[in-house]
Amino acid sequence: MAIVDKPLALIAELTHRCPLHCVYCSNPLEMVAAKQELATEDWIRVFQEARQLGVLHLHLTGGEPAARADLKDLIQAAHAAGLYANFITSGIGVSESRLGELIESGLDHVQLSIQDSREDRANWIAGTKAHAHKIAFATAANKLPVAFTVNLVVHRQNLDHLEEMIAFAEELAPNRLEIAHTQYYGWAFRNRAQLMPTREQVEHCLSTVEEAQKRLSGKMRIDCVVPDYYARYPKACMGGWGRRLLLIDPAGQALPCHAAGVIPGMKFDNVRDHSLEWIWNESVAFNRFRGEEWMLEPCRSCERRTQDFGGCRCQAFLLTADATATDPACSLAPKHHLVTDQQIAQRDSHIEETTSWSYRANPQ
Amino acid sequence: MPRPSDSSRPKFAAGCRWGTHGEERVVLFPEGMIRVEATGLSILELVDGQREVAQIISDLAARYDTADPARIREDVLSFLEKLHDKRVVDY
Repeated sequence: MAIVDKPLALIAELTHRCPLHCVYCSNPLEMVAAKQELATEDWIRVFQEARQLGVLHLHLTGGEPAARADLKDLIQAAHAAGLYANFITSGIGVSESRLGELIESGLDHVQLSIQDSREDRANWIAGTKAHAHKIAFATAANKLPVAFTVNLVVHRQNLDHLEEMIAFAEELAPNRLEIAHTQYYGWAFRNRAQLMPTREQVEHCLSTVEEAQKRLSGKMRIDCVVPDYYARYPKACMGGWGRRLLLIDPAGQALPCHAAGVIPGMKFDNVRDHSLEWIWNESVAFNRFRGEEWMLEPCRSCERRTQDFGGCRCQAFLLTADATATDPACSLAPKHHLVTDQQIAQRDSHIEETTSWSYRANPQ
Repeated sequence: MPRPSDSSRPKFAAGCRWGTHGEERVVLFPEGMIRVEATGLSILELVDGQREVAQIISDLAARYDTADPARIREDVLSFLEKLHDKRVVDY
């Protein structure tokens, strides 16, 4: 068996409950009900075990993590365990005083998602009136001693006014702006035709970002990566399967990534039954795509196999129905045409507002 | 970005702080961590938002009194500039 590195980050999906219904949500289509969620003490034990295992960063996400009334206690426990606590939020349900309490409990960093610069468009993507709350949250974050990132999710429906969105993000005055191309898993995969940009949009995006990075150098850092459907080589998804990260879902199942549940036959062990160390080292799911034994050609003999690990296993499955295939996002993949065919379909279809997409549902 | 001046007071950027990775002292930032080699560590340990760059240089010169002062100065300025570009240090 391959030598197992220690994980560096834990993604804690505290709940799948969320006041937003974003059409590109990365949560699985089948969500965990509120009554199945882990208890406060379970999470605290997981955080302590994570730190002992070598984890440095804890990413508190959901759903909306603020939907958990015990968020403050969880942050306090994470901080006490020695973890770097990052809170990924829609901003809904987090008043200035609550954010202040979270910071006092040891929060290191907060990341606010933004759907658009235009209120009607933002609310349309989120499926609810969230935009004004986000502006209020940004105002609060700026008053308080916490590192603040704005995460702007971009896609076919908003990339044509990216300059305006960057200007809007500047007004929110974060330390850092992350321009995140939608990734096609979960709800976004279901809505891919309405969300995937054209090549022209992607190229325009990259030049716009480059210009903004120069203009705002020293004031606001901007990060952006090429979306993998338009890249030459696939992304090293999660830094490689079971190499850097683990994700715990609201019910305590441990997954190598957000989307791993789509791969048929995967069995995920639960932190209610096993220690995190056992799960990381021994569980079938985490070992399934470690090392190179599972690889097919062209990955198996490719010199890039130690850099991108054959790309994303979940994307390989979603597109080819074979989780061991080379990620079709790779230009060397036998089934790369599945991605280029989609590029052509996106180019040839009109970009128009649609009411036919699926809004993210909420769990029971 | 320009290098810091003698009167700059470098400090950790928002969201950056010390952490430990095994036995090693590392700097944590929102998206990850950086490992710093020994020379860098001795510089970074003097970055507190109070000390001016000139003070950091003279503190290090006093500690390593066999080293060439011009070399220490160059190491400090280039290191701070590098960490500034990575948004770990502000000045």
